[in-house]
Amino acid sequence: MVGLPYDCLSNPLGAVRLTFEKAVASGSDPASFEGKDWGAADLFHDFLFDNGGLSQVPMLNPSTLKWVQPNTLVRFRGMIQDMLGNEFYVGAHKDGDIWRTNKFTDTSQFPMAPSSDMRIWERRLLYCIPVPGQNSWAEFSPEAVKNPYTNSLSPQREKRQREDDATMSDVDMQDSCHELQASLSAKKMREDEMDFQPLNSQKTATEETSSNASLVLDAETKSFSCLVKIYDSPESNLKLNDVFEFVGIFTFDPDLTADKDDSDELTHGFGEDALLHLPSSKVPRLHCLVHRKLAINDFLSVCPTLELKSNAVKELREALVGHLTAVLGNDRVTAQYMLLHLLSRVHARADTIAVGKLSLNLTCFNKESASVFGNRLKLAIENLLPFTHYLPLTVDYLNTVSLSPKKDYNTNRLVSGVLQLAEGSHLTIDETELQAGTLNSTGVENASVLKSLMEFQKVEYDFTYYKMEMNADVQLLILSEGKSNLLPADLILPFQPSSVDSPSEVDADMLKTWRWYLATMRSLPHSIEPDMQKVVEDDLVAARQADRSLGSQDLSRWLTMGRLISASFGETCLTMEHWQMVKELERLGRERLHGNM
Amino acid sequence: MASDSSPANIHGGPLSPDSLASSPIGNTFSSPGDSRRQKRGRRSSYATPPPPPDSRFATPDATPTPSSTNPRRGRGRGRRSSTTPTAAATPSSTDDAPPSSDAGDGDDIDEAPPMYVWGTNISVQDVNAAILRFLRHFRENPQQIEGKYMQAINHVIEIEGESLDVDAQDVYDYDSDLYTKMVRYPLEVLAIFDIVLMDMVSRINPLFEKHIQARIFNLRSSTSMRNLNPSDIEKMVSLKGMIIRCSSIIPEIREAVFRCLVCGYYSDPIVVDRGRINEPTICGKQECLARNSMTLVHNRCRFADKQIVRLQETPNEMPEGGTPHTVSLLMHDKLVDAGKPGDRVEVTGIYRAMTVRIGQTQRTVKSIFKTYIDCLHLKKTDKSRMDVEEQMETEDRANRNDNDFSVDYEDKVEHLKEMSKQPDIYTRLTRSLAPNIWELDDVKKGLLCQLFGGNALKLPSGASFRGDINILLVGDPGTSKSQLLQYIHKLSPRGLYTSGRGSSAVGLTAYVAKDPETGETVLESGALVLSDRGICCIDEFDKMSDNARSMLHEVMEQQTVSIAKAGIIASLNARTSVLACANPIGSRYNPRLSVIDNIHLPPTLLSRFDLIYLILDKADEQTDRRLAKHVVALHFENPENSDHNVIDLPMLTAYVSYARKHIHPKLSDEAAEELTRGYVEMRRRGNFPGSSKKVITATPRQIESLIRLSEALARIRFSEWVEKPDVLEAFRLLEVAMQQSATDHSTGTIDMDLITTGVSASERMRRDNMVSTTRSIIMEKMQLGGPSTRLLELLEELKKQSAGAEVHLSDLRNAVATLASEGFVAIHGDSVKRI
Repeated sequence: MVGLPYDCLSNPLGAVRLTFEKAVASGSDPASFEGKDWGAADLFHDFLFDNGGLSQVPMLNPSTLKWVQPNTLVRFRGMIQDMLGNEFYVGAHKDGDIWRTNKFTDTSQFPMAPSSDMRIWERRLLYCIPVPGQNSWAEFSPEAVKNPYTNSLSPQREKRQREDDATMSDVDMQDSCHELQASLSAKKMREDEMDFQPLNSQKTATEETSSNASLVLDAETKSFSCLVKIYDSPESNLKLNDVFEFVGIFTFDPDLTADKDDSDELTHGFGEDALLHLPSSKVPRLHCLVHRKLAINDFLSVCPTLELKSNAVKELREALVGHLTAVLGNDRVTAQYMLLHLLSRVHARADTIAVGKLSLNLTCFNKESASVFGNRLKLAIENLLPFTHYLPLTVDYLNTVSLSPKKDYNTNRLVSGVLQLAEGSHLTIDETELQAGTLNSTGVENASVLKSLMEFQKVEYDFTYYKMEMNADVQLLILSEGKSNLLPADLILPFQPSSVDSPSEVDADMLKTWRWYLATMRSLPHSIEPDMQKVVEDDLVAARQADRSLGSQDLSRWLTMGRLISASFGETCLTMEHWQMVKELERLGRERLHGNM
Repeated sequence: MASDSSPANIHGGPLSPDSLASSPIGNTFSSPGDSRRQKRGRRSSYATPPPPPDSRFATPDATPTPSSTNPRRGRGRGRRSSTTPTAAATPSSTDDAPPSSDAGDGDDIDEAPPMYVWGTNISVQDVNAAILRFLRHFRENPQQIEGKYMQAINHVIEIEGESLDVDAQDVYDYDSDLYTKMVRYPLEVLAIFDIVLMDMVSRINPLFEKHIQARIFNLRSSTSMRNLNPSDIEKMVSLKGMIIRCSSIIPEIREAVFRCLVCGYYSDPIVVDRGRINEPTICGKQECLARNSMTLVHNRCRFADKQIVRLQETPNEMPEGGTPHTVSLLMHDKLVDAGKPGDRVEVTGIYRAMTVRIGQTQRTVKSIFKTYIDCLHLKKTDKSRMDVEEQMETEDRANRNDNDFSVDYEDKVEHLKEMSKQPDIYTRLTRSLAPNIWELDDVKKGLLCQLFGGNALKLPSGASFRGDINILLVGDPGTSKSQLLQYIHKLSPRGLYTSGRGSSAVGLTAYVAKDPETGETVLESGALVLSDRGICCIDEFDKMSDNARSMLHEVMEQQTVSIAKAGIIASLNARTSVLACANPIGSRYNPRLSVIDNIHLPPTLLSRFDLIYLILDKADEQTDRRLAKHVVALHFENPENSDHNVIDLPMLTAYVSYARKHIHPKLSDEAAEELTRGYVEMRRRGNFPGSSKKVITATPRQIESLIRLSEALARIRFSEWVEKPDVLEAFRLLEVAMQQSATDHSTGTIDMDLITTGVSASERMRRDNMVSTTRSIIMEKMQLGGPSTRLLELLEELKKQSAGAEVHLSDLRNAVATLASEGFVAIHGDSVKRI
């Protein structure tokens, strides 16, 4: 692939056009291209993945938005928050005798003669937002991609563009733009210096800067979103709340602002059309060429080249448990449970039961310990998992917040709720602040939404005329004084810290390996040998004979724990040793629970 | 009229069949201007002054901007009402059949050379003739003297209606070719349809002024909103969905009148032409001729109603992990406000697309299209499971509306009927009910009966007998009662799930509240009233306050809720089945106490439950092992392929609602006899000397329960007659439910070893076999009143007889205990003595 006649990065449309022309020239009928690719996607696939072009593609985020130019290749990582249906567009039309294509653009590059022959194709619109609760370390550090336009872009031009925007943005916004610009260039300078440093330390440094930057950007990040247009992909590939990376052509068209002001009766009629509320001057468009689903691993800045060798993994595990123990004030049992909790995920669903979830309820918090350990735990989890949330549960909060997403028919959009979370998010619910009070109807609704998330890992989405249940996969941790009655967790454990010493600082490298560890171990498959299965069954029977109060939930929890313990050692098969550990852990937990009562 | 020179014009353009598959629109562009002229020109020659054939679906204006456009998009009834009279009055349709003829097939043989809709092989004359034939001669059955649609047309004329509903199914039956053409080229064919109708009407009643339009409905196949794609543009589609939003009514101009500002001259009405009204630049008055002086006179213009409605996919059409799609509908005239938000409707219309202009002032057109459906017909479907029963009640109405069951519906019914003929349908349904909850077969059978329900009976005297079956589940914690409840709640046609602790009496029945806005007192329904004709699931029944529980007395027998508070005295229907579950007193079942003492609910309430299940958790290694296996399998096997012989949830719902709606079994004589016999038997047992109040005795309520249960069992088989086996099964269910077989009548306690609920049929069979083998061994080996034998010896003997099968001492013990309860043997410690 030497000497490409086009530049995939800065002129992707040229590449698209070229492949189209080539395909037409080779005798294919443009009419047959509907819903198909004529080679453009392959080309970009080659360019991005086989030739390593991906790392050169700038990541779209509030800071890069300022300098990325329209009609260039960008990528965007986000969660699909809403689906806006399909859009019909003129896919190909005849310009004189030549076929032209409009695929991957909003407007035609060539004049469309009104009477020309045209083909209508469709594409899907997805409304994407940055993954909710994404921690700063998981954000893509902007330094990794150099701004190829900084030099070529004259400030004047920028200015002009911004003036166009000025109709929409007020003075404040402009100011913040300047600030951003400043911070960006500062970062740029720093980045240049750092090019000499070894990779690792650069990473740490960028992390710091990015976390600083994220503070500045925070307000903007919240509202940052992207309208992704998907071509030729089966519907089942992209689901609501999935996290994806989209690589595509960026368009950002301040010209189109006029739409909104001029709307009259008709546009109001048809224009509950969500697009009207997302003027392209505010929400960038991305014509997606290539998209791929992201796993948590993709958010880790660096993947240690650790293999799943049991010794190394064991050491890692030991270190992590040690860290958690320190965080939890020397409570090693809780730390063990916490590790399992952090590794849990829903791996199967049978009817209403979500198999594999392990929600944890830490009880015995009081005012003081909640403020000390609650915060510490929160920080520790934030450092370990990419997507975390913290809900301080109070009566007021329950009565006012909208937890479940709701469809707003006025704008024809799905209004996101707190519980619209990406797969694998972690949610800490702090019940220690909860006082006696009266719940209004919203409060009751919210409580039941939380409960159903707890029990079935499902969130009800409110579509006004009916509710729709969406599957979720969220790790739930509850901090409470006594056993939470509101939120029945799988595992209840009295928390018994023995020291309040703050844990020693952890260095960034270690954190990174732990992140990798959690993400990797979590996705391990799991199985059981027939003879081990026999042992497990016997144990369950014996336990039930001994204690009639054990229900199927308890037994189910044991098996989940067995799976998670194996996973925490990097093993894919349940062994006797680990099964014993489960029983031991369960015994310790029970002892505590009874000793406490 | 000439220049159709804009991309938007595709919409009006006729289509070429060969390009249809890939893109219907392509060809239209090569020379639309010409063809249009051609078509119009020619057509006017054949039917004299008809409005332009495509006026009903006016070609969307050259560049339909969001703002100015629409006057034209849509059917020009308002406008036409002025043009039609002329058309109707002049008997111009000379080339049609003579007015008098209403027979004769050659109605419409035209001398003129055949004319084709441009770009297609549709001959205008042919279609015209086909439509005329269809309208004249279609009869639903040969006996009818007058054609169905001739009658309908006459009716429309009588009531001065504006539209004629045409069942597409009829069109298909009569002339499938016409149907195909109509669906593929609706714009052209419907225009011809309207012309034909107009001619017919004017012939019947030349003075009839209104223009009648054909409203097509009930297409053979309905599309899912998700599958609408570019190839559907300009075709007739039928969609199901739910209305989520209606715009306000938009007056759309049809005719405009202008006035000269200089001389006050009023212009003639100017008709909308392709979405535009051309304002005269010069005053029409010869004396004035002022330039640019004309101004619009609003109150002399004609307007038509228009409304934009948004339709959303129904939840069951949505794939997992998607959000519902929506589509805009354009409603005109009579269809305006025909549906309200929340209605489930089936819409027939033409799928259309229009270009979007970048800005109002800009002429550039974006390459994007907006799509909408020009609505022809709207039908409220309401075939959701909720309304199964309502349709039953208002049968006449329902029958009239639903004489058009869709094909797939009939297929489904056929399938359900086939299912019902399977001999093992009862067990299969049982197995499919909450397949994840393990065992508890008999409880599931009871719940199945509850779902199907018995027949409600209303005597002419006013007394009524409920058909709903109430069930109470009492059991140890951790026996998945709540899960069963959740499952039933999901399955039942309409129902609410409440938890005893959280429900108060008013929350269950009804309460009076002050409307915050008007200050009036209003009655708000509680859970029981809301689940009228459904199942109300109440969890933690024992934790409910007595006050709340006492409210249930009335509901469970009389099925009404009477309110007398805050000046409102009312009686509300609450024809609901109650499914409650409770823990025994002291959380766990205490074997030393009697059943009644354990349940600890007032007998008045207890007797209102048809079935009371004691789900007891017995320390039995075998059941524990099965549970363990079940849990392990849940974790390590792919849950999808675990049980394939299970009927899935939608099918089960369909089955239940069909049975509830259509099957009304009656008692056969044989069954009635059996019922009487069994009841007498039960009474006798209840009056066992010394039983006192420790057991639940049979009351007249029980016999009603039995009738309901056997009716439900007959319904499961889709049988119109309750037969003897049904009654026997009903008795068995009732017995099993109360563990009566295991109850020691003298003390009222349950022998824990005899509990059979939750034991699968095979297990029960095994135990029965064991009992009979043991019996035969004892018969053989021991004399009446002879010396006693040790259990171990019996075990040896048993092992010898049943070679291969494993026999445990505990099994034997159970068997012997059963025999002892029959009075066949006596047990003293480890030895058995025959008596």
